[in-house]
Amino acid sequence: MNSVIVVVLGFIVSFIGYGIYAKYIDKKVIQADPKKATPARMYMDGVEFMPTNRNILFGYQFKSVAGAAPIIGPIIAIQWGWLPALIWILAGTFFIGWVQDYTSAMVAMRNDGASFGRLSHKLISPRARIILLSFIYFYLLLIAGAFGNVVVSTATSLKAAPMAWLFLTVSGVLAGQMIYKWHNDIIFTTIFCVVITLIGIFLGSLLPSDRLLGEYIAGNKPIWAVIAFIFCYFAAVLPIWRFALPINYVASYIVFLGLVFGIIGIIILHPDFSLPAYTSFSIKIGPLWPIMFVTIACGAISGWHSVVSSSGTARQLENELDARPVGAGVMFVEMFLALFALIIAGTIYTSPQDYSAAVKVGPASVFAAGVAKFLGVLGMPADIGKAYGSVMMIILAITIMQLVIRFMRVATSELLSDLHPLFRNAHVGTLIASLLGLVLVLTGWWQYLWVLFGGANQLMASLALMLVTAWLMAEQRSYAWTLYPMIFMFVTTIAALFVTSLSLLQKVFTGAVTGEALVGNTLMGIVGFFLVLCALVLGYDGIGAFRRLRSKAVRGEI
Amino acid sequence: MTEEKGGLFRAIKEFVYGLAAHDSARYALKSRASMEHLFILITMVDMMGVPIVPPYYSLMLLPYVVPQIATGKRRMLREKDLTDALA
Repeated sequence: MNSVIVVVLGFIVSFIGYGIYAKYIDKKVIQADPKKATPARMYMDGVEFMPTNRNILFGYQFKSVAGAAPIIGPIIAIQWGWLPALIWILAGTFFIGWVQDYTSAMVAMRNDGASFGRLSHKLISPRARIILLSFIYFYLLLIAGAFGNVVVSTATSLKAAPMAWLFLTVSGVLAGQMIYKWHNDIIFTTIFCVVITLIGIFLGSLLPSDRLLGEYIAGNKPIWAVIAFIFCYFAAVLPIWRFALPINYVASYIVFLGLVFGIIGIIILHPDFSLPAYTSFSIKIGPLWPIMFVTIACGAISGWHSVVSSSGTARQLENELDARPVGAGVMFVEMFLALFALIIAGTIYTSPQDYSAAVKVGPASVFAAGVAKFLGVLGMPADIGKAYGSVMMIILAITIMQLVIRFMRVATSELLSDLHPLFRNAHVGTLIASLLGLVLVLTGWWQYLWVLFGGANQLMASLALMLVTAWLMAEQRSYAWTLYPMIFMFVTTIAALFVTSLSLLQKVFTGAVTGEALVGNTLMGIVGFFLVLCALVLGYDGIGAFRRLRSKAVRGEI
Repeated sequence: MTEEKGGLFRAIKEFVYGLAAHDSARYALKSRASMEHLFILITMVDMMGVPIVPPYYSLMLLPYVVPQIATGKRRMLREKDLTDALA
């Protein structure tokens, strides 16, 4: 099949999903009212609650939700064949993805901008909040582990990436200094720092790390894992304007340019899919159901979006009518990102064997080869294109990872500071978060880590849908359109986490793994089971809340 | 047509701003707000029932703090948890 058909299908799904389905829900069920004062207007404090233009919020929401996940998920999931992946991306976005993103923002908006912690306390049960927060901590840990693995595999397998990463770091820190301390012109600073990073990408292709540092250091996984976490350590303990934010700022232009030109390249080349449409129901990382449904998380449905929508975007929407373009619209755009990743993975290899050899190293090599091919159509030499693709992958992963370690530092302090005041120290919290992430990166097999991360992410999505359904019940509005997606996601993700954790721990107990794999399997298995346990308790409380709300509605008490 | 073009150009400009810089602006505002919280906590905490600075000095500082009292109190007293820090 030609890739253009995939793009056309994407447009059809977006048109029906956004233009008809979402519009109907927005108008008839949620009844978005432009005259209603949003929390951004009612509680404006100029900081968190601030009415913001919807175009700006569209960019903010897109930047906050579109990381490496919509790209890596389809690259891995194509192992089952491109057809199941394509169907899940389209159907997941249409029935569940936008529903979750949009309603998370709407529920928070209609509840005075309350966060999910407060909403779960109010709508589900008091203990739901505590469980949700513990769940989020381990969810963050899995993000750090999965994305850390992407960074390390990229740095070790694509030797042009480290030089570009170094230049990005230097230019990012310089951008922070120029903007906040020297008060230089923002346009000049942006162009100057982006050009420095582009020079780094060019130099990376000329001087790969194996030539510069030697084969041993260039391909040494522990060394690059430690470097990645030192990077995150600085991001977590330094003032955010000094390190994390300006690096993200410069990085966003590199990614944006790469995506725009890559997409143009795909449109010009419009290749045919060369990999099989369907391979087998069960492959090495697990069966198609439930594992594929968590392997492709962002791009179809992702719990992370609900956190951004509720705690970030909902407090800035100046008009209820903006929730649909910002919440739902961004989800459909992200669907295209996943479709383009699917096209990259499905079209650049001539045989499944070539693809298998590439994906064994890591998703970055597949992505970088694709970027090189499609930028090549526009005249970029292949080695520079590959360096560009590799640095894009590092950027997409490390920008999320550094923020996650920063959040984990805050969470460690919140959760453990009552045990000992030492845990309030920023360095101690960061060290704990970094060490836990480092252990996962060094000992876990990246495909299992990705599945666990996807499982946690999707479980977060089903919990968000649970909150939304409870709210719809309390408001006596139609709720089947969130209840059934929630049930599907809940069952699927619990099954995925259970199957993966069980298979990991089975290998531990049967003695099939030794050394670092033993540590990795044990840790990942325990974290997986912990998440399943949290989800089951939340599910139990959720059912109780649904019953309570329905009986109240029948008695006319609400 | 010209107006439409201007609208589209403005929309793209705002989208790129949202993509690249809106987050930075929010963090900068949050950092400033944290400092203001500390300042209000030290000087005006008697409004919340915990006197630290003698009321005489609080009264002297009051004119400078007045514009921030309403929003500052709302921010400080609002229930928060980890999910607030995430976005």
